[in-house]
Amino acid sequence: MSAPADQLPAGIEACDCLTPFGDAAATASALLAGRRALTLTPVLGRDGGDLVPLALTGPMDETLPPRWLPGLRQLAAKIPPAAWGSARTPVIVTSSNFGVGSLYAFTRDHDARHLAHGTPFASVGLLRAEFGWGEHVHVFSHACVTAHLGLAHAARLLHAGLADRVLVFSFDFVSPFVAGGFHSLKILNGNLPAPYARRETGSIGLGDGAAFAVMTRSAGRQNAPFQLAAHALHNEMFHFTGNQPDGAGFAACAAAIAAAAGGRRVWVKGHGTGTLEAGRLEAEVLARQFPDTPLVSWKGSLGHTLGSCGLVELALTLAALRGADGKIPGTVGGAAPSFTDTVALEPFAHAGFDGAIMAGNAFGGAHAAMLLTHE
Amino acid sequence: MARGHPVPPMIERFIHHVRVEPPPADETAAGARARLADKFPRTALRRMTHLGLLLGSVLDGAPLGPEDALVYASTYAETRALEDFLLSFPAASPLLFQTSIHPGGVQQVLIGRQQPIARLWPHAGRTRLVEQALLTALLEPAPRVALVGGEERGTWMIESGIASDQAFSFATVLTRDAAGAAGRVGFNSGNSVDEPCPALDAFASALRERRALAWLGAGGSWTLEWR
Repeated sequence: MSAPADQLPAGIEACDCLTPFGDAAATASALLAGRRALTLTPVLGRDGGDLVPLALTGPMDETLPPRWLPGLRQLAAKIPPAAWGSARTPVIVTSSNFGVGSLYAFTRDHDARHLAHGTPFASVGLLRAEFGWGEHVHVFSHACVTAHLGLAHAARLLHAGLADRVLVFSFDFVSPFVAGGFHSLKILNGNLPAPYARRETGSIGLGDGAAFAVMTRSAGRQNAPFQLAAHALHNEMFHFTGNQPDGAGFAACAAAIAAAAGGRRVWVKGHGTGTLEAGRLEAEVLARQFPDTPLVSWKGSLGHTLGSCGLVELALTLAALRGADGKIPGTVGGAAPSFTDTVALEPFAHAGFDGAIMAGNAFGGAHAAMLLTHE
Repeated sequence: MARGHPVPPMIERFIHHVRVEPPPADETAAGARARLADKFPRTALRRMTHLGLLLGSVLDGAPLGPEDALVYASTYAETRALEDFLLSFPAASPLLFQTSIHPGGVQQVLIGRQQPIARLWPHAGRTRLVEQALLTALLEPAPRVALVGGEERGTWMIESGIASDQAFSFATVLTRDAAGAAGRVGFNSGNSVDEPCPALDAFASALRERRALAWLGAGGSWTLEWR
């Protein structure tokens, strides 16, 4: 059973991201070239531990001020000016980890200055002070579908007439806290991820990622030719880290977004972290719902950027669609045989498509998908 | 199917379920586990956190189906799991890791019940948290929206001012049906002034005492009223 998707089209006035490759254009080019940002790195940074695949913008060990701040300053400089954080131009910050690496750093060196940015409200407070945002900063945290929620909520605010423009800002930087956590679950191990590959052992990588999007009601304007036309969400509540074995959770979300996509010719950017069971369920459900439709994941190159992945990968999609190559990056790090023959391992031309489905999922069996369309 | 619509002059929902947990000030997770044991499956109970137990208690009897939505508000969220997970290094605990992640508190409850829902909106702010969670609830097209919130008391993080010094939880179920409602929450757009927004614990107290609230914020005026 699935709830219908929200069909509240919102224009994307501006959008960019930051990854270890650089901005969205540089990252899309790297993906088209099949480059991996992931490298094997000690899971606890300077505290050592097993080597695991991480894609970092700098050393993982937390600093003062926090290591994510310089990159976010660089990214925020690209945001079109507005009275961000006012009631009519609110900000939605989405993250899974916020500044939790600072709490880990405090437990190692006991320097109380780390505590000033260790919690969600403290790290968002730092962003407000840095970027001059007002009080109307909504904060969402829903693990790896968080950015999807922020974008969906932005559409609701716009369509209710409660906002003129909405800035959705997302960031997640890897720390020993999160790397150690996924390593304890054994899914972050010594293998590089191969999304949707049918192999013996599953593995993910983790990566630093940040992105923003300025959303507007003026979809279709010359300055906002891309729009997010629909959002579908579903929460299985079957298991903390597993999915319903029959794929019903994936199917519920996929059916809702497919209904919203109607007769459009779409391709699919999946979640595709490199896990076996979730990867198989996702690929099979999407192949049934969108037969003969290319499916890609970019987490084999960039790692999983956690709560920011939905917005980072949206920015990469826009960069690829705007790029001179005319191609969408394939599943970097993937390998044959894949779970389904829809998995695109190589770049493909986007000519002939008039939309894309962008899917994600998270702990608790949370599923999210959005429909990107362009004129 | 939810589609765009003209700006409503007022958005309102009616309150049909109100539960507030103000546990004893010194209650521990073990104490809550004993006090609330009959509300949870035994297999789920032993792994639940204090916040999870308090949220489960206030959601007990709340009518929620797979087409409904839940808005969850917590500034500090799974503080104890976070504290203990940090102290588990270098042998990081997988159970504490997954429990420490927002919105683990409410997921413990819904997974224990095997209760799917359409949409879950976990807020994690502080300054205007109540207002933002209410706005999310009012914009939900789901027939029933559970508005849930709470905190658990921290230990070593309290000393640094980054954890709640009290435990509490609340749950309301909001619908469009005025019949039989205990109260109403409303938002009138058209105001540009911001007044201080009630804090999460103050909002929980207002629910418990059936006390009216009114303030300006988010470009409009807010009212919480009772019948």
